Amino acid sequence: MTLWRWAGGHASGLRVRLLLAFALLGVTTTAVVASGSYFQARTVILQQAQDAAVASLTDQLTKVYPIRQLPPTQNELDDLAHRLSDREGYAVVIYHDMRAQGAQVPEPLTPELRQAVESGLIAWQRVSRDGEPVLLIGTQLKLDRPDGAVLPSGLEVYAVRSLASEQQSIDRLATLAWLTGGLSLVLAVLLALLAARGVLRPVRELGRAARRLGEGDLTTRLVVRGADELADVARTFNDTAGTVERQVGELRRMEADARRFVADVSHELRTPLAAMTAVTDVLDEEADRLPGDAGKAARLVSQETQSLTQLVNDLIEVSRFDSGTARLALDDVDVAAAVTATLRIRGWTDRVRAELPPGVVARLDPRRLDVIVANLVGNAFRHGTEPVSVRLHAEPDWITIEVRDQGPGLDPEVLPHVFDRFYKADTARTRSEGSGLGLAIAWENARLHRHAGQAGSLVASNAPTGGAVFTLRLPRVAADTANTGGVR
Amino acid sequence: MTGRPVARALLAGGLLLTLLLAGCGVRPSGVITGRPAMAGPSVGVRLYLLSHGELALVIHPSKEPASPEETLAMLAAGPDESDLSQGLTSEVPTGLVPAGPVTAVPGRPGLTVTMTGPVLSLSGAAADQIVCTAASAAALAGLADSFPPITLAGPDGARPPRFCPVVR
Repeated sequence: MTLWRWAGGHASGLRVRLLLAFALLGVTTTAVVASGSYFQARTVILQQAQDAAVASLTDQLTKVYPIRQLPPTQNELDDLAHRLSDREGYAVVIYHDMRAQGAQVPEPLTPELRQAVESGLIAWQRVSRDGEPVLLIGTQLKLDRPDGAVLPSGLEVYAVRSLASEQQSIDRLATLAWLTGGLSLVLAVLLALLAARGVLRPVRELGRAARRLGEGDLTTRLVVRGADELADVARTFNDTAGTVERQVGELRRMEADARRFVADVSHELRTPLAAMTAVTDVLDEEADRLPGDAGKAARLVSQETQSLTQLVNDLIEVSRFDSGTARLALDDVDVAAAVTATLRIRGWTDRVRAELPPGVVARLDPRRLDVIVANLVGNAFRHGTEPVSVRLHAEPDWITIEVRDQGPGLDPEVLPHVFDRFYKADTARTRSEGSGLGLAIAWENARLHRHAGQAGSLVASNAPTGGAVFTLRLPRVAADTANTGGVR
Repeated sequence: MTGRPVARALLAGGLLLTLLLAGCGVRPSGVITGRPAMAGPSVGVRLYLLSHGELALVIHPSKEPASPEETLAMLAAGPDESDLSQGLTSEVPTGLVPAGPVTAVPGRPGLTVTMTGPVLSLSGAAADQIVCTAASAAALAGLADSFPPITLAGPDGARPPRFCPVVR
């Protein structure tokens, strides 16, 4: 039973199943046909041999007539038996209690045959004598009566004939039948393999194409061969792949349109903003001298214009990342000095606890490093609690800058989205002091630095002691790579 | 899924096994019967003797066809050596030969055999021997189409007409 279950488990493969079905079909058909023709041929061979033997005996017996003496002498019986014996067999002649036998072998006659002969008919029977098939034919010798009827004379003649040659012919037939069966089995297996290949190849191709499609190659198509069910499947696959490709293309086009729109708008806003900035600069200078609300309004306008300028600049930066036109301006930089400069320019030197081992030189884009560090530290000031620490760590191929604050840390729900654009961690606070793009830009900048196929990274996490930790990891020798626009 | 292959395998195996067992070679058979046994003529004189009290046909060689009277004379002569060696006997008394030709007598069916000796005292078997031999010889001589009824007559009278019992 377990063997069958094992076979069943392995028989679930298409190839094995086809093989099994074909082999069984072939063997069954051959067995039926071969055995049928074998039996028929055997019957024909035996029947012919028997009929020929009976005819030959009858022919020989006509020469016995006319009968000259009854009861015959033993000599006469012996002579008759001798005359009827030849290479193919011998005869037994019986008259009541007398008997003559043409060969010195044991009596082969069966009681049922003698009974059939006594009833007045020619009778024959196949028997096995020492494993050799033997045909026994028996008949009475009757006498004509003047009126046409016949009289029993009491003489019985039996011919004993070997069927060895027929046995040989039949054995040859059997061998031939077995051979045919074996050949047909081989043929069936070959055909099954061929059929399995014919079926399995398109299936395998289909599987491969589906895998490629799943991996993102939307141009994958199958060659449709023939008009069977598998071709239908291939056609459906092609249709589906075509639809998916069209829809994804549409989506991409729409996304690109949206991005281009943002980029265009940002660019268009730059010129008026420059003019506005010039105006607000003047207003700023005059604000103190303006009375009451007018001064407050002037300062507000100036402040919001600055924010707007920042936002537009950030949008332009982001659209550069999206369009893949962002390039690294690589330089050999003393990282500690660069970070210190960033902090100093923004006036944060006193508020940040910096651990910057000197002498760490890396080849990277100093402007982008400045943007990242400023974003991270500024973010820590805005959302965390001081003291904020910046720690530089150098490895043979990579540098790590860790920015940590002592605030409550990031909400676990926020963590996965902290680098999303315009993501508001605090939903209650609708107006952020930043543009909402700072961390997204920092993340893109980090990824822009690549080394040996590995991109730089920016990871947000919570320190076990509390407080948010942003870890920037950049290669020591960054390579500029085309099209590093982050796709999120 | 496993059910069908199992059934099919069993079927195929069974067929092969049948072929293997039922089959190879020449198998013994029962008795097959054909036409009636063959028959042919005889040369000589057909007499009816007794084998263990039953009528038995014997053929005694003769150069020429014998007339019914000669045939009956040969019957009266008794069994020869070959007959005796087979245990054949005769109850017909030696010398009981026909007194005249075997002929049809008006008023009696068939043929009448008139003997030289008494016929009423003959045993039934002896009478049957004479009746059968005479009928057979008469038929062979062309006196009758088939075995006719025979009336045995003698100086002491006549037995009723009788058919040969082994032929009817």
